[in-house]
Amino acid sequence: MLNIIFFAALVLYFAASVLEFAGVSFKKDKLLKAAWFVFLAGFALHTVYFVARGVKAGRVPLANQFEFSMAFSWGIAALLIVFRARLHAEWLSVAAMPMAFLVLSYAALKPMEITELMPALKSTWFVFHIGSAMFSYSAFVLAGCVGLRYLLLSRREKEPDALKLRQMDFLSYRLIALGFLLLTVTILTGAIWAEQAWSSFWTWDPKEVWALITWIIYAVYLHLHLRKNANAKMLAWYVVIAVPVVLFTFAGVNTLMPGLHSYG
Amino acid sequence: MRFGILLLALIALCSVVGSVIPQERGAAWYAQNYTAIHAYLLMLGLDHVFRGWFFVALLVLLCVNLSLCSIARIRSVVKAGEELLPRTAKLPDAEALTADGVELVRGYLTSIRCKCNDFGEVSVYSKNLFGRYGSFITHLAILLTVLFGAAALYSPTVIDQSCLPGESLTMTDGVEIAVRDFHIENELGELDFESVLRVKLPDGRESDWRAVSVNHPLSFGSYKIYQQTYGTAGSITVRNTANGGEDVFTLTEPCFLTADGVNGLWYEALYPGYVRDADGNFTLITSTSGSYNDPVYQLLLASDGEYTPVLAFPGEDLTVGEMQYVFNAPVEYPGLRIKHTPPLVNALLVFAFCLMIAGLYITFFMQPVLVKLDGEGYTVSGLKPEGTRMEIRLLLEQKGE
Repeated sequence: MLNIIFFAALVLYFAASVLEFAGVSFKKDKLLKAAWFVFLAGFALHTVYFVARGVKAGRVPLANQFEFSMAFSWGIAALLIVFRARLHAEWLSVAAMPMAFLVLSYAALKPMEITELMPALKSTWFVFHIGSAMFSYSAFVLAGCVGLRYLLLSRREKEPDALKLRQMDFLSYRLIALGFLLLTVTILTGAIWAEQAWSSFWTWDPKEVWALITWIIYAVYLHLHLRKNANAKMLAWYVVIAVPVVLFTFAGVNTLMPGLHSYG
Repeated sequence: MRFGILLLALIALCSVVGSVIPQERGAAWYAQNYTAIHAYLLMLGLDHVFRGWFFVALLVLLCVNLSLCSIARIRSVVKAGEELLPRTAKLPDAEALTADGVELVRGYLTSIRCKCNDFGEVSVYSKNLFGRYGSFITHLAILLTVLFGAAALYSPTVIDQSCLPGESLTMTDGVEIAVRDFHIENELGELDFESVLRVKLPDGRESDWRAVSVNHPLSFGSYKIYQQTYGTAGSITVRNTANGGEDVFTLTEPCFLTADGVNGLWYEALYPGYVRDADGNFTLITSTSGSYNDPVYQLLLASDGEYTPVLAFPGEDLTVGEMQYVFNAPVEYPGLRIKHTPPLVNALLVFAFCLMIAGLYITFFMQPVLVKLDGEGYTVSGLKPEGTRMEIRLLLEQKGE
């Protein structure tokens, strides 16, 4: 039953992405509205799956690559809903919906069975460390989606709406600020946890190193954004190019660079 | 700022190199795996990037840069702070407003708890002025994190030591660590690797018996004891049938148990289990992640210069001459990591962590709001005014202004 809910959410995300793309391409409001409702239905199922899996496992479902990817996708969807509601950022959906779908598809490729939490992960820091990582990656990926939308808008239209572009630039900045704060929480809670589990705050494990690299990349963005003559288009390129680094820190490191964080 | 960004970029670049090239493997390993370039790799110190002189130099430069930035930043923030409100009052209107629009904006700014400061006919609404210090707090916290982090990484002394249950370890400064018990699995068969320990300091103070497991070290005084590794040892009771003497040996490595130096029993290894085929042949299992459920002793029986391989199970016994060897259930023992840290170092580092999170929160989520409002229009000021600007614009659009 749980698996059916998971795949139903996946299908709904896919359908929403297709409808959204069609709506944007043909400028049909009805399609865009339908896409949003389909997406909300997918998100509801995704949430049910997330909670039900947690109840069944008796823990927060963030313990392996499948669970983290599933939660990562949920984070992207949740942030999209929050930002649409708060800032009327409807234009974000066309890039964010496919991203939620793709990350959930990646999760579907991973073993889905519920496994017992290994002793090293049984800690009060687990939820703070992994939960903040999940939301920070989601915020960075969503910022990348905003950047992509910015670039498409500024390229396609001869006289792009300057106000809308400024809004996009600001939204991207807010998402990165949120992600950066949460990534800092991830790294620092991880350091405290590492001291309790492995006796050292920092071991230069590949996952730690790549979290630091990601942190530096976004720290540079935040500094560039502060400059009075900051080039918004260049910053949009920057946040788009930074997304693969986030995805590598999330999935690539565990696959290609085994270390203390290789939990499966 | 440019130099700071350059330093961050170089640190990131070194980190990429340090994560791609496996670190601290020894020259022979690099010669084998990076045959063509190993000489350059070793010459440049890329086998130990994170303790290489260039990496340390980058961190030192970053600290200097952060210190100078923090000083410059706090000076400019304090200086600007004195004239912030009067200067905002003098700004020209960026957007024109109708009388209704002015009231809408005024109502909105009051609803988000902005403080109203009157300068004649001009009002300056302000909020979160403390947020101007966020960036300073963050940079200071990063500086403290690097400094205390270095102290926390390099000042402790760390010793890894195994200890059998019932025995104790004495450190060079007289601290005694006693192990009462250890098990790999709990009563439910779940892995939990738990030791029961007590620490006694040279001044006579001693801790209670405490359970130590992964994620739950024992802290006492400036010592912290971690559950690091584990092992399973053989246990053999040796009885002299002639005089009734008896002793129990706990064996973690191969040894020869003998009374005369010629006849006796070579203990070789203990295996966690075995598979027995239809012909009665044994295949020994060499590894397990949990307890030894079907342990097997691998032995050599030495009798008058002849050696006979033997397998034995707990509960069985063998006799060689006057000596009887009884095989007991194996003993599980912990490998402990004993860390001695100078006082306050960890506490200061955790303080720096908290300060950094607080600084970032203030920087990004308590940004100063400064809005000049008069009868004809408004202007939004501050370091990052886009958020307030956007909210006001949305409000005015919704109300048809």
